[in-house]
Amino acid sequence: MSQSSGTTTFLRGTLLLGAIGVGAAYLKASPERFWANWLLWFVLLFTVALGALFIVALEHLVNAKWSVPIRRIPERIATLLIPACLTGLLAIGALPVLFPGTRPEALHDKLLAGKAFWLSLPFVSLRAVIAFALVLMGLAVLVGGSLKQDRTKDPAFTIRARKFAPAFMAIFAFVITLVAFDWISGLTPAWYSDIFGVYLFAGAFLGGLAATALAVLHLKDEHRLEGVRRDHLYNLGGFLFAFTVFWSYIAFAQYLLMWYANLPDEVIYFKTRLTGGWFALTILLAVLHFVMPFFALVTRDAKGDGARLRKVAVLMLAAHMLDIYWLIFPILPGGPHVSWPELGFALFFLSFSLLWVRGALEKGEDMPVGDPFLQEGLEFRL
Amino acid sequence: MSSGNASSVLGLFDTADALMEAIPQVKAKNLGRLEAYTPYPIHGIDDALGLRRSPLGGMVLVMGILGAITAFVFQFWVSAVDYPIITGGKAPWSWEAFIPIIFEVTVLFATFTAGLGMLLLLNRLPLFGHPVLASDAIKAITRDRFALSIEAEGEGFDAAAAQAALAAAGATGIEVLIEPDRDPFLTSDYILRAAGGIFVSCVVAGLIMYGAVKLFPVLPPMSHMEDQPKLAAQKADPFFKDGFGMQEPVPGTVARGYLPLGVSSQEEAAALVNPLPTTPAVLAEGKRLFHIRCELCHGPLANGTPTLTAAYGAKPANLQSEQIRNYPDGKIFWVITMGKNAMPSHAADLTVDQRWAIVHYVRALQRAQNATDADVKAAEAR
Repeated sequence: MSQSSGTTTFLRGTLLLGAIGVGAAYLKASPERFWANWLLWFVLLFTVALGALFIVALEHLVNAKWSVPIRRIPERIATLLIPACLTGLLAIGALPVLFPGTRPEALHDKLLAGKAFWLSLPFVSLRAVIAFALVLMGLAVLVGGSLKQDRTKDPAFTIRARKFAPAFMAIFAFVITLVAFDWISGLTPAWYSDIFGVYLFAGAFLGGLAATALAVLHLKDEHRLEGVRRDHLYNLGGFLFAFTVFWSYIAFAQYLLMWYANLPDEVIYFKTRLTGGWFALTILLAVLHFVMPFFALVTRDAKGDGARLRKVAVLMLAAHMLDIYWLIFPILPGGPHVSWPELGFALFFLSFSLLWVRGALEKGEDMPVGDPFLQEGLEFRL
Repeated sequence: MSSGNASSVLGLFDTADALMEAIPQVKAKNLGRLEAYTPYPIHGIDDALGLRRSPLGGMVLVMGILGAITAFVFQFWVSAVDYPIITGGKAPWSWEAFIPIIFEVTVLFATFTAGLGMLLLLNRLPLFGHPVLASDAIKAITRDRFALSIEAEGEGFDAAAAQAALAAAGATGIEVLIEPDRDPFLTSDYILRAAGGIFVSCVVAGLIMYGAVKLFPVLPPMSHMEDQPKLAAQKADPFFKDGFGMQEPVPGTVARGYLPLGVSSQEEAAALVNPLPTTPAVLAEGKRLFHIRCELCHGPLANGTPTLTAAYGAKPANLQSEQIRNYPDGKIFWVITMGKNAMPSHAADLTVDQRWAIVHYVRALQRAQNATDADVKAAEAR
């Protein structure tokens, strides 16, 4: 435990350092830069947390038994939605700075005038509040109920969750599309892509999976998940592998159609990202988000190998960060920005998330001990 | 038990656990390769039997990569080397367009290898002649019993020792299986050879076809769109008695929308009266058509723009000239219909009403350019 408290002290130190960086960025960096960073970390926190909640809901939706022993981990990670929604409320400050649709001159822009109401500041904010309320409700039902079941051992929750899961999937699809369109696509309102919500979903699910896999491996090292075996890890690895391909499929399909049609207001999005410093980052994104995880996990042995899975999970989270950065930052003039404001933000939010998830994992049971399918999940073999 | 060589010795067990316990005991005696027959898959039996790792994964990977390379090379050769065509303004060697096909062919090669490789190459299915199918034990095995067999492969198989070993391991029933006395009628070898033969014939036929068309271009190119069973103007056609595709109008009839004007010269046309009222809609239509049909030569003010004169030496009429302003409507209509000097007829491009609308608009232009005090006052009064 001494080592663990040492880590906590270290994380608190980096959190403080990051907070200074964020404060300095607010005072010294341009407001565009500050809010772009804020937006980046809001989307990252939100997608990883929502991805984790999606894993929980998916288990209830399809009556999965194998994931019951590790369900507590995505449940704990999903509680990050609470700070993520707060960050999102504060990110409304970014709307007048970064989003052309909220500015008064949008009314005179031929392309924006038609969607001026949809893009206006009050309506975007209202939609954000509705979306946050919906996912927090989902969190309360799925995670709150599961934590309560630890004490009550009442199987009624399991039945209720299985009935609620399909409704949550509709909510999930609505919210992730809304976040993708409002908070990322809204930065370039002349550009639009129908598949963009699915693209963000693929990234969010991968982010949630990677965070879950990392936390599972961490708890396994501490011998707190007795009975979780290679077979469970294999399923996590299989999911990671499959959705790496899914993400690439969606990302490339989106690019291919726009490349073919070659419409000016669509290709400009990729033109920006395929010139100058952004070109290198685009290639890097393809390598980190597809090529490396694909070949790292392609064999059967690799998917169940804890050490390999840990590396791929870290890689996947890094690739997800790069993905969102790649989506948001090209709106700032000049090539890719990575300097002290970005580092300050990264330090702050990473330390904060780690502290939050570590704190959450310390509380209560490590497995959903009240779930009637726990034993069946522990006996799961491939 | 008839005479003949023993192909294997089979022992029946009542439970899966009994079978799993028996395997290491029999295996230790080292009498021959072990094979197990069970009504459902048993976890861990692969390891217990000491089966070698399936090479299928490696085969699939190799064939998948081969599929990707094949698809890329073939598309590159077809679209960039052998028959380069610019499609949609893209370069012939656009790699983006190749990706979907590369993906599909990769999947095709990989799945065919996985499916057929597993069934035909590795499992050697179908095994209609397998001795266990003719055994007494087959009913029990496919229902609720578990069998372990010691295979007689090569010389020196000791059937008696095998029976003793199985009995010692706790088999409840023992049966010696005899080598079948006739060849099975459909083997995996046969299917593989047939499939390979079909594949090679297809490739050879394709190559021959390609070579034939390339070297001896006697085959006409595909022209099905041109061979339509319809009457064509200026073409002979057996449909009519006189053998012409194009027919004279029936005497005494007028084609819809082609009412004759009843005049045969510009002087006679002076008597024609513009049938259209001077409503804003008619003037707007006249302006639109003037813009499309007349403005290029006569200029937006109808005063004979010098643009064409400078470029081509043409001298379009100045419609603001005294002579043309004094023309009756019918004479202008006649010129639009029949053309004049270098001006072609517009009868094919403009309906009668459209021509009259243009006449109205030309009149409006003339009046605007030569406004009297009364006109100015009338305009100011409105």
